[in-house]
Amino acid sequence: MHPGLINPAVVGYICAMGLALAYLVQRHELVHRLAVLSTLAGWAAHTVALIVRAVELGAPPFGSLPDAVSVAVWVIVLLEVLIEQRSGLRVLGAFVLPIAVVLILKATTARPATLAPALAGAWVWVHIALALIGIAAFVFNFVGAIMYLLQERQLKLKRPGAFYYRLPALETLDRLTFRTLALGFPFLTVGLLLGALWARTSWGTALTFDPLAFFSLVAWVIYAGTLAGRAAGGWHGRRAAYFAIVGFAALVVTLGAGLFMPGRHGF
Amino acid sequence: MALFVAGLSHKNAPVALREQLAIDDDKLRELVRDIQGAGVLPEVVVLSTCNRVEVYGVAEAPGEARALAFRYLCRHRGIDLAGVEPLLYTHVDAEAVRHAFRVAASLDSMMVGEPQILGQVKDAFALAQACETVGPRLHTLFSQAFSVAKRVRTETEIARHAVSVSFAAVELAKKIFAGLARRAVLLVGAGKMSELAAKHLVEQGAFPVYVANRTWSRAQDLARALSGTAVPWDELETALGTVDIVVTSTGAPEPVVTREAVRRVMHGRRGRPLFFIDIAVPRDVEPGVDTLTDVYRYDIDDLKQVVGSNLRERAREAQRAEALIEREVGKFLARLGDVEVIPTIVSLRARLEEIRVGEVKRTLARLPEATPETRAAIEALSTAMVNKMLHAPITKLRESSRAGAGRSWLELVHELFALGRRS
Repeated sequence: MHPGLINPAVVGYICAMGLALAYLVQRHELVHRLAVLSTLAGWAAHTVALIVRAVELGAPPFGSLPDAVSVAVWVIVLLEVLIEQRSGLRVLGAFVLPIAVVLILKATTARPATLAPALAGAWVWVHIALALIGIAAFVFNFVGAIMYLLQERQLKLKRPGAFYYRLPALETLDRLTFRTLALGFPFLTVGLLLGALWARTSWGTALTFDPLAFFSLVAWVIYAGTLAGRAAGGWHGRRAAYFAIVGFAALVVTLGAGLFMPGRHGF
Repeated sequence: MALFVAGLSHKNAPVALREQLAIDDDKLRELVRDIQGAGVLPEVVVLSTCNRVEVYGVAEAPGEARALAFRYLCRHRGIDLAGVEPLLYTHVDAEAVRHAFRVAASLDSMMVGEPQILGQVKDAFALAQACETVGPRLHTLFSQAFSVAKRVRTETEIARHAVSVSFAAVELAKKIFAGLARRAVLLVGAGKMSELAAKHLVEQGAFPVYVANRTWSRAQDLARALSGTAVPWDELETALGTVDIVVTSTGAPEPVVTREAVRRVMHGRRGRPLFFIDIAVPRDVEPGVDTLTDVYRYDIDDLKQVVGSNLRERAREAQRAEALIEREVGKFLARLGDVEVIPTIVSLRARLEEIRVGEVKRTLARLPEATPETRAAIEALSTAMVNKMLHAPITKLRESSRAGAGRSWLELVHELFALGRRS
């Protein structure tokens, strides 16, 4: 990715993160507005960078893992702005943007990657795109869980602190984690299935060991379990939140494995 | 003319004196008319609440105006001015503006952020307007004070967090449930404070209300008062299973809601949270329920602790409000200064333009052979000279009045250019 194009986006996100955290500490109307502006500016620059990248490659701009992470960040930031706008959850940025910043920094500093010759064909793009949307949804699942646990702890301790005043109701937060799980899971599922099908057609088997595929399967099992628990076992609240965090940890390991371990996704 | 405010408030005057000075609306109308009629204050507004008595006015000599206003006030109330005089404070110009803004924004209130004061200031202003004792200066001051108060209310959270135990309980409920609409409430026992908490919950949309009491007739009475349903005492546990919020305030010596009972009902609730507001002493809900998932229990001490946090949060917000007001005072003074100097600037320009036009006419009359170019040049030259000469004095006038020292400069300019008397 062109540094000249992606750097403004990274700077925009970092500024937005700083402002969002400042807003969390001291709720100042102006700070929030600046945070939103900065987020949008970063996102606009990011959009341009992705378009240029796509034109340059003559293909969707997520053919390598660093590129794909960059697109995931693009989706995450878009969702952050939309959810915040719709729900009025103004502290969301303070929780989501740090994750977005870490991911984009990882993506831009990872070793330059080229598209593997084995990777071609429309299904691969769909596989990656679906997985990315799933991952973006799970970021919000994770953030919702963190906010739930913070608020729940404050209410149980009976000592209202900063988070008590800033975070919404427990029910709202539990609903956010549930909805993002329900949204992300189908995307992840279909994304993984397509990946497995692709592996079988191109390598003859779906079951050879690939670190990214392995850990994403672990994450999928955790999320599937949580969803089943929620739907049938009446799971909710703290337990669901713990599982959301474990699931996200598995996803982080997945991405880490993809970025730093050799395998078919290493390109 | 100086803007000033003089008076006394809860900060320095005892309630015994404040209540003597408090004045009803009819008397207030008479009073503002009397004060204005004395001729010293062309504009006057009197604010009289249980926490403050203040005179806002415009006068040449604020000290004299203050003495006059309070002489009238004390005469109306039949008390000795000598006892009031030493307690009076006076703020002039910038200080007066700041004070007006702080009062309207509830920063000078006994309970910072309390909402009534703004209405009281508005009433006092409307009353003075009806009595025609409000002129352009007080009008600008008060309209600005109202808009500043509104900004403080919307941009800071100075009035946001509850300072009473019953409202704090409602706020807590809102941090557990996403909105209180259609949340069922159960009242156990009857007490003034629990009834109040239940009323607040109902105002926020909570419905339906159930009432349980050991005495069936009392349960029915209270249920009727709250448009709720009475529940027999021995069906308390069943009721716990269906409601969302429980307010308890019985006089029972032992807890009426045990951990075991709550543990049993939580099974059937499919994860719906249960919130206990226990106002009774001794407590009605076993503290052990705290360890159950999805159960939240606040007793009276917990609620008081929440109120304490809310007060600290308000104090933090008040600091932000003070900063906002400081900026607004600066802006207001700048605008007020401009308003003050504009008539002088206009007449100064008119005066010089008059001289210029006269002199140009006379010169051109003596130059009959002048070409149109020459005439145009003379016009341009004279206009340029006037503008250049006016630039420095006008800038100086604006600057000094923004700095709050415009009056003496205005007098000087009027004298120097013989602009006539200022209004």
